[in-house]
Order: sequence, then C-alpha cells, then structure tokens
Amino acid sequence: MSGPASNLGALERWLEGGAERLPGSGLDWLEAERSQALARVRAEGVPSARQEGWRYTGLKTLVEQPFVRYAEPVTGVEEEDLEEVLVPGLDAHRVVLVNGRFVAGLSSLGALPAGVRAGSLREILESDPDAVADRLTKVAGDGAHVFSALNTAGMDDGFVLLVGRGALVERPIELIHLSVGMDEPRVAQPRHLVALEEGAQASLIERYVSLGESLYCTNSVLELSLGRAAVLRHQRIQLESVNAFHITGVYLSQGADSRYLGVNIGLGAAWARTDLVVRFAGPHAECDLKGLYLAGDKQVMDHHLDIDHGVPQCSSRETFKGVLYGKGRAVFDGRIHVAVDAQKTDAQLSNKNLLLSRNAEIDTKPQLEIHADDVKCSHGTTVGQIDPQMLFYLRSRGISAPLARRMLCLGFAGEIIEALGPEPLREYVTEVVGRRLETAPLE
Amino acid sequence: MLSVKGLKATVEGKEILRGLDLEVGHGEIHAIMGPNGSGKSTFAHVLSGREGYEVTGGSALFEGEELLDLEPEERARKGLFLAFQYPVELPGVNNTYFLKSALNAIRTSRGEPELDAVSFMRLMREKLKVLHLDDSLLKRPVNFGFSGGEKKRNEIFQMALLEPKLAILDETDSGLDIDALRIVADGVNALRSPERSMIVVTHYQRLLDYIEPDYVHVLAKGRIIRSGGKELALELEEKGYGWIAGEEAA
Ligand SMILES: Nc1ncnc2c1ncn2[C@@H]1O[C@H](COP(=O)(O)OP(=O)(O)OP(=O)(O)O)[C@@H](O)[C@H]1O
Ligand SMILES: [Mg+2]
Repeated sequence: MSGPASNLGALERWLEGGAERLPGSGLDWLEAERSQALARVRAEGVPSARQEGWRYTGLKTLVEQPFVRYAEPVTGVEEEDLEEVLVPGLDAHRVVLVNGRFVAGLSSLGALPAGVRAGSLREILESDPDAVADRLTKVAGDGAHVFSALNTAGMDDGFVLLVGRGALVERPIELIHLSVGMDEPRVAQPRHLVALEEGAQASLIERYVSLGESLYCTNSVLELSLGRAAVLRHQRIQLESVNAFHITGVYLSQGADSRYLGVNIGLGAAWARTDLVVRFAGPHAECDLKGLYLAGDKQVMDHHLDIDHGVPQCSSRETFKGVLYGKGRAVFDGRIHVAVDAQKTDAQLSNKNLLLSRNAEIDTKPQLEIHADDVKCSHGTTVGQIDPQMLFYLRSRGISAPLARRMLCLGFAGEIIEALGPEPLREYVTEVVGRRLETAPLE
Repeated sequence: MLSVKGLKATVEGKEILRGLDLEVGHGEIHAIMGPNGSGKSTFAHVLSGREGYEVTGGSALFEGEELLDLEPEERARKGLFLAFQYPVELPGVNNTYFLKSALNAIRTSRGEPELDAVSFMRLMREKLKVLHLDDSLLKRPVNFGFSGGEKKRNEIFQMALLEPKLAILDETDSGLDIDALRIVADGVNALRSPERSMIVVTHYQRLLDYIEPDYVHVLAKGRIIRSGGKELALELEEKGYGWIAGEEAA
C-alpha cells in the first residue's frame, strides 16, 4: 500500500491485525461509509506538523508507534480490577468497555426507563442495525480530521444510547473505557452514539481510565444528537495512562430549544487531542461547554473547539481552564463561527491558564468569525502564574507550600470542578486533580 | 520571646531596615509607630518570611531559635502570626477549608490531633461571635469581596483561631469604623495572656487607648530611634515625628 502522503502505512495499520471482522460487515450503508472514510485516510495520510491545528502536537511520536488493532477482545479483567478505577460512591447505570470492546460481565446497566436503549454498538449492528442506520456517522460526517475518518473505517465497538421522545433517564449513565496494557502497542477505536429525541433528558459520564502505565492509543469518536428541547448533561474525564495517546472527536448536533451541558476534564495521556465540534440545527438551543486540563512533564493537552452558529438565536459558552507545570504543554484552539443569518447569537469563549513553571507552555488561539451583525460575542484568554502574595498569605498561616499551591490552583479551577456532579464525581475529580497539583514539579 | 538585633534588609537593592533592634518579652505588648515608608510593614514581612526581601544582616531569635532561617509556614507553626495591613483576596479558596487547613497544620506540628468537623465548627462559631462576624463569611472565598473592615476583622478572627505566641498586627486599626475598632480591640484583648506577646503597628493613639501597650517604639528610616512607655504615644500625637527626628539630628 502506498499513497500520496508519507507514513500512510502507519495509519492504515490501525485497521489491521484483527482476526475478527469488523461489525456490520455486509451492511451496504455501513460498508459505503467505511470505504469512503478509508479513501479519505488514504488521500490525506498523516497530517503534516506544518498544517494549522497540528503544529504543536506529538504527531511524530504517535505515527512512529507500530500500533495495530486488537486481535480479539481482551478478556480476564475482573470486577476487582475495576475497583481501582471506580468513582467511590457514584450511583450510575454502568457500561464498561475494555480496550474498545463492550464487556457485558463488567457492565451493570440495570433497569432503564421505557423508551431507552443502551448497549454495545457491535451488538446492535449485528442484531438490529436499523436502530442506528439513520444516525451513525450522520453527526460526525467526514469528521474534523483524518483520525475521525480512521475511526469510521475501523470502528469495532462502542456505546450506543438512544433515548426516545420525552424519556427521562434520571440516574447518570457512566461509560467507563478501560485500557489494559498489551505486549505490543495496540489501538482501540471505539465509536459511541448518543441520540436524545424530542424532550428527552439524560446524563452521561464518559471516563477513560487505564490499569498500569502502558503505551496504547485510544482513538474515539462520540456522536451526540439532541432533538427538540432535549437536555443532555455530558461529563468527560480523561485519565488515560501517562504513556498513552488519546484522540477523541466529540460531534454534537443540537436541535431547537435543546440544552447541552458539557464538562471536559483532561488529565491523562502523554498526548491527548480533543476536538469538540458543535452544530446548531434549530433556534434557541444552548450549549455550555466547560473544560479543565492539566499537563505536566511529557504531556501535551491539545483542545480544538469548532462551534458553528449556523442558525439564529442560539447561545454558547465555552469556558476552558488549564494548569500547566513542569514541562507540560497545552494547545487551546477555540473557533466560533457565526453565519450571516445567525442573528441574535450569543457566544462567549474564554480560556485561562495558570503556569506553575517557567518550562510549561501554552498556545492559546481563540478565533471568532462573525458574519452576522446583530450578535453578542466575546472571547478572552489569559496566561498567568500563581500570585506570590496569595501563596505567602496561605503559608503565613502554617499551610505548606505544596498544599497552598493546591488550594490556589483548585480555586482557579473551581468554576469548572463545581460544574461536575453528582457529588461523588466532583469529589473524585477534586481529589485526583488536587493530588496531582500538590506533587506537581515546579521546574 | 523575640530578640531582634541589628536587623538589616533590602528590597530590590534598596536598604529599608538599617539595623533594627527590638526585645519582646513574654506577655508584653509593644506598639510600633513611625512615618509612612519607614519600614514597619517591611519589618513585619521580614519576620514572617515573605519573599522579595533580602536580609543583609542581624538576627531575629524567636524563643531562642533563629526565625530568619525558617520557611514562612514553619514560623507560623512555631507560633508567629501576622495580621496583614492589606489582607489578600483568595478567589475560589473557601474560607472554611482554608481555616481548617491552617488550624490542622498548626495543631499537627504541635503534636495535637486534628480537630473533627463538629469541634472545628463549634470553635469557629465561638470565635466568630467574639468578632461579631457573620457565619456567612465562612462559605465565601477567603477575603473575597469582603469590605475593608471585614478583612481586618477576619485577620483577628484567624488569630483567635490559631492562638499564636507572638502576633504582629500591622495597622489593623486602619479602615475600621469606631464600632469595629472596639470590636477588634476587644478581640485582641481577649487574647492577651502572660504567654502571648504582640507587636502592634499603628499610626494612631486611639487604638492604644483600647489595646494598652507596655512599650512604644518609634521606627524611622529602618531603625528604632526612640522607645518609651505608653506616654510616648501621646507625646507623638501631640508633637509629630519631626520632634524626635529633630532631636536625633541635634
Ligand atoms: N517590593 C518593594 N519594592 C520596592 N520598594 C519597596 C517594596 N516594598 C517596600 N518598599 C519600600 O520600602 C519602604 C518601606 O515600606 P513599608 O511598607 O515597610 O513602610 P511602612 O512603614 O509600613 O509604611 P506605612 O505606614 O505607609 O504602611 C517604602 O519606601 C516602600 O516604598
Ligand atoms: Mg505599612
């Protein structure tokens, strides 16, 4: 296999190595999507580091890894192993994927309200593909970049949640994506699909965790579609292994009057690239997107927001904060586009960063492209350090410097962490973030 | 308790403290007065270990131990407390969590067990009452959006909670209305004990009517140029600092 771009093989290998066929083989519509996606992968190859949006990333180290598909589902993970990564006290419908594949034995979905369907994408594609045929790939389309196309070509399994008209799922649904180290570098390409029909409501907690510190790659895509007046609370906590690569594309389509409340917490992985793509399909929809990322030595946190106000009278809030320490790096690229007839758009983007060391680096780039004239839009970014006077105030009260730093950073991040819920999840994240900050290297 | 000898310190190369001597015994209250910019706050900051000052000479023994070698938190744990002239606001840092962390850090270093939640709340309520502070302050971020007077009262509230051996009050009276001044003074007086000493920095005799000092010192150009009893404060109020400076020059 060869193509126009260098390293083409590196990405195509991600589709190889599996003994099993991909789910849904034989479904015409899916085969068509897959081959179209594969064509894109072949045509584009690995993005160039000179390309906008890829400039600061660890792309080279990623493609140097000989990642291949998992040969078969990883078995042997027991309930006890899971304990290590659970959020203490969190009551939720639980779905567990291990290295990209749904594991029924570890999942406990329990009783779901009428009109709600939840489970494995692979199973649905095999048993009842019509349930997802008019939704899968429809929100993501071609995707933000080649990795989303790669996911389409190679999607192996994932989580599907379909909430019917007016249905209300009160208990949160927790999706745990657990990665377990293998002898050779493997890539998992889970594909998740969440669709809320008119007036439906649900709360999704999506977590990426690992056992150990192994090297692997997760390339996930999540398609979210909200029907008229649907409400989704979506909390994403990325805590991959420190040596892992995490690529994710979240594609959201919002119908009229719908509300999306998203919180993204990025803590793990050596390189994590997150694309959040929002499209408004009807007026009066609200999108509240919050994020917190931490990056220390040998970590790159790369966020790309693409918010497209294509219709009038929608509002979006993008509030992202970063704390960088050691030699940590982060990229924040926030683009808001307001179309000519998207009058009365209300969009506010903010990105604030705290650098705890001189060696940490942030590249923040907000972009507002406004083509309508009657809109309320703003953006602001800041990069700062801990105020030495604040630090001294705390220390003068007997509080150790590391704890004082933790308190000040958590204070800085408070606005984001407070948006998390329920309480056990908020406490868990506070603890993980706090511990990280207390031991963060300052050089 | 505190023995400062020949203390010299510079800020950005500029000498601010130029050989300061001060002896504070157990249970004593010392007032320090002096013109703006004479180095009073600098002295307080150097004692409590704030960064940005270079100590170029002298020593400060606290209960026989050199303070100047210790980290700020170690000084606090040994019983030193500074009520700031300008308390900083800490957005996002919850007051209760802050107070609890401070108290537990100090208790742990004294070998005392950490307070459980109930005893801690009880203790806080009791001290809040002494300073006529509202419970709601506990739920807010530290000093955040507090009025000038509330900030000053919050400083004394912290002192009441942490029970230091030596407290330095840097212009705690400035910005307080007459009632608040009395409340703060009552709070301070309630903490007076034969074991606890205080250094009270002020520009006004009025505070010293409430908190009666054993000694009054005049700090000018980085040195103590005159010490006396409480009557010295009255004399200063009457004649101004020029009077001493004039005598010095003579
Ligand atoms: N960080 C700094 N950089 C430069 N100069 C400083 C700094 N801190 C203090 N100084 C200077 O040191 C001198 C002493 O300041 P200090 O705050 O100790 O005075 P003070 O006696 O407390 O005055 P006041 O009565 O106005 O509170 C002043 O001239 C001040 O400008
Ligand atoms: Mg001063």
